[in-house]
Amino acid sequence: MVSVDTLPRTRRGVRGARWREARIALLFVLPCLLLFLAFRFGPAVAGSVLAFTDYTIGADTNWVGMENLRRLSEDPLFWRALRTTLTIAVLAVPLSILSSLGMALLVRRAFRGSKLFRSIFFLPVITSLVLAGIVFTWIFSESGPWSSVMGWFGLPDQSWLSDTTLVIPAIVVVAVWSRFGFGMLILLARLQDIPRELEEAALADGAGAWHRFRYIILPELYPALFFLGIIETTFTFQIFDTVYVMTGGGPANSSYVLVYQLYDQAFRYFDFGYASAIGLALFVMTFIVAMIQRMTLGRER
Amino acid sequence: MTHHTASTTTPSTPGSSGTGARGGRRPRPYRALEPRRSAKIARGVLLFVAAAVTLFPFYAMVVLSFKPVGPVVLPDSLAPWGLSFEAYDRVIGANSLLRWTLNTFVYSAVSVVGVLFFSSLAGYAFAKKRFPGKEVMFWSFIAMLMVPYHITVVPVFILISNAQGVNTYWGLILPTLANAQAVFLMRQFIKSLPDELFEAATVDGCSEWRMYTSIVLPLIKPILATLGVFVFLWHWNDFLWPLIIGQSNDMRTLTTGLASMNAENVPLNVVLAGSVVAFVPIFMAYLIGQRYFKEGVTMSGIKG
Repeated sequence: MVSVDTLPRTRRGVRGARWREARIALLFVLPCLLLFLAFRFGPAVAGSVLAFTDYTIGADTNWVGMENLRRLSEDPLFWRALRTTLTIAVLAVPLSILSSLGMALLVRRAFRGSKLFRSIFFLPVITSLVLAGIVFTWIFSESGPWSSVMGWFGLPDQSWLSDTTLVIPAIVVVAVWSRFGFGMLILLARLQDIPRELEEAALADGAGAWHRFRYIILPELYPALFFLGIIETTFTFQIFDTVYVMTGGGPANSSYVLVYQLYDQAFRYFDFGYASAIGLALFVMTFIVAMIQRMTLGRER
Repeated sequence: MTHHTASTTTPSTPGSSGTGARGGRRPRPYRALEPRRSAKIARGVLLFVAAAVTLFPFYAMVVLSFKPVGPVVLPDSLAPWGLSFEAYDRVIGANSLLRWTLNTFVYSAVSVVGVLFFSSLAGYAFAKKRFPGKEVMFWSFIAMLMVPYHITVVPVFILISNAQGVNTYWGLILPTLANAQAVFLMRQFIKSLPDELFEAATVDGCSEWRMYTSIVLPLIKPILATLGVFVFLWHWNDFLWPLIIGQSNDMRTLTTGLASMNAENVPLNVVLAGSVVAFVPIFMAYLIGQRYFKEGVTMSGIKG
């Protein structure tokens, strides 16, 4: 082995060294490859196949073709969960991005305490959504501080989480609270890249704060804002932890989201085939968002 | 509106000449962009309000956890006095909180070590080695980033449950070691290192394993730290997978355990005391290594 290594000039030596390199490399990749085959590739294929079966625990599995998808298309609960998920996304994503943008603009210049503010705004991002859910359940409860605040505005004392309409805004508030710090950091990184001279020149030309923002800062931020929109949308499509902790999908299924239905079907009713069909629907949604991203980015280039 | 567009586009091309002329009149041109005093005050007020709103849930969590167990009455319950350790006594005494903390720690720590080890090995091979099928393999790993977690969670559960992995540590940990993001970030980082660093060692006749332990590992310390923090945080806060796999009370993690307490009508003070216990380790780590948290979360988000 050693002689082959030290004499790479002969044709056999070169091939030997190549082969040795490939063997070692494959050995290094092997653990990851096995893990991926077992827990990513295999399940991704299996998940798509399961959607066309009636797989459950302790019974024979049959191929049912489009049956699960037909059931899904006729399941009012699925359409409701889809609508709720989309509603949360439509509300939470713009609100979260606007908050990110606002906070990023406020802390972008270094001043006394600017670092502290950034750290504070990022704190919810690293906090478990379960903890957030527990605290916010109390905040939105009937005797909680939120209903006191509503009381100041003459609104009735009521728990937002037990109202079929208000439960959605309550969940959106938690989603925005827990996510805006992430967007803030992404936008801050972009803001720091904008050359100062550009803004100073605009200022020298008499452009006010709004115009500097509108015509210099905002165009520079478009790609980052767009990217954030995609990330936050896919993130919101998968909302689960807060709903599980705060409402359990209620009241009267008004906060029942897609991943919650998937969880229910798979792990409460053990209808793995049907759950996989819901997973497939989620995949299609994520895929559409990703395609929109690719197409739009492609056009920009 | 339109004439402003024109005025702002002009300086972007010549740039420096315009600024320079004005800069001569003003000794410190940077001051020009400094907000006025009134704007500074407005900014301060806005930031203060935003920070208060952001921090309120944390404040409530901590203060209520230190109140005697009982009904929460506003605004008295939020006052930072009349504190007691009753809720902590109860949460540590009566519940399996210590066991859940241990489980969460095992889940997070073992996963971090596993993910870092396997992904650095693979990342190194993908970045610096030649072997057949390299590109196909690497890009099919990356393609897995596109497949949402929820399409694979059911088959992985079936797999683990058939292998008797429900309510075991290995069943909890093993599937999470297949981390496409980690492999991708490792490969990108190692690719950016100059080849000479590795070639010198090869000429010296260094064995591949020694090369990995004494050359590669020291060089990738920064990415190990950032990725390690991110993976740890992700596992510490993970919910769905532990909920599915850790079904018995003894196999719960802090997130699933606290969610179960919350659902069982345990008094709020007690649940919040448990929440503080779950939050403190992450908070301490955040205070020490903020940079790694911010890097880790934003980096992973970018490739999420």
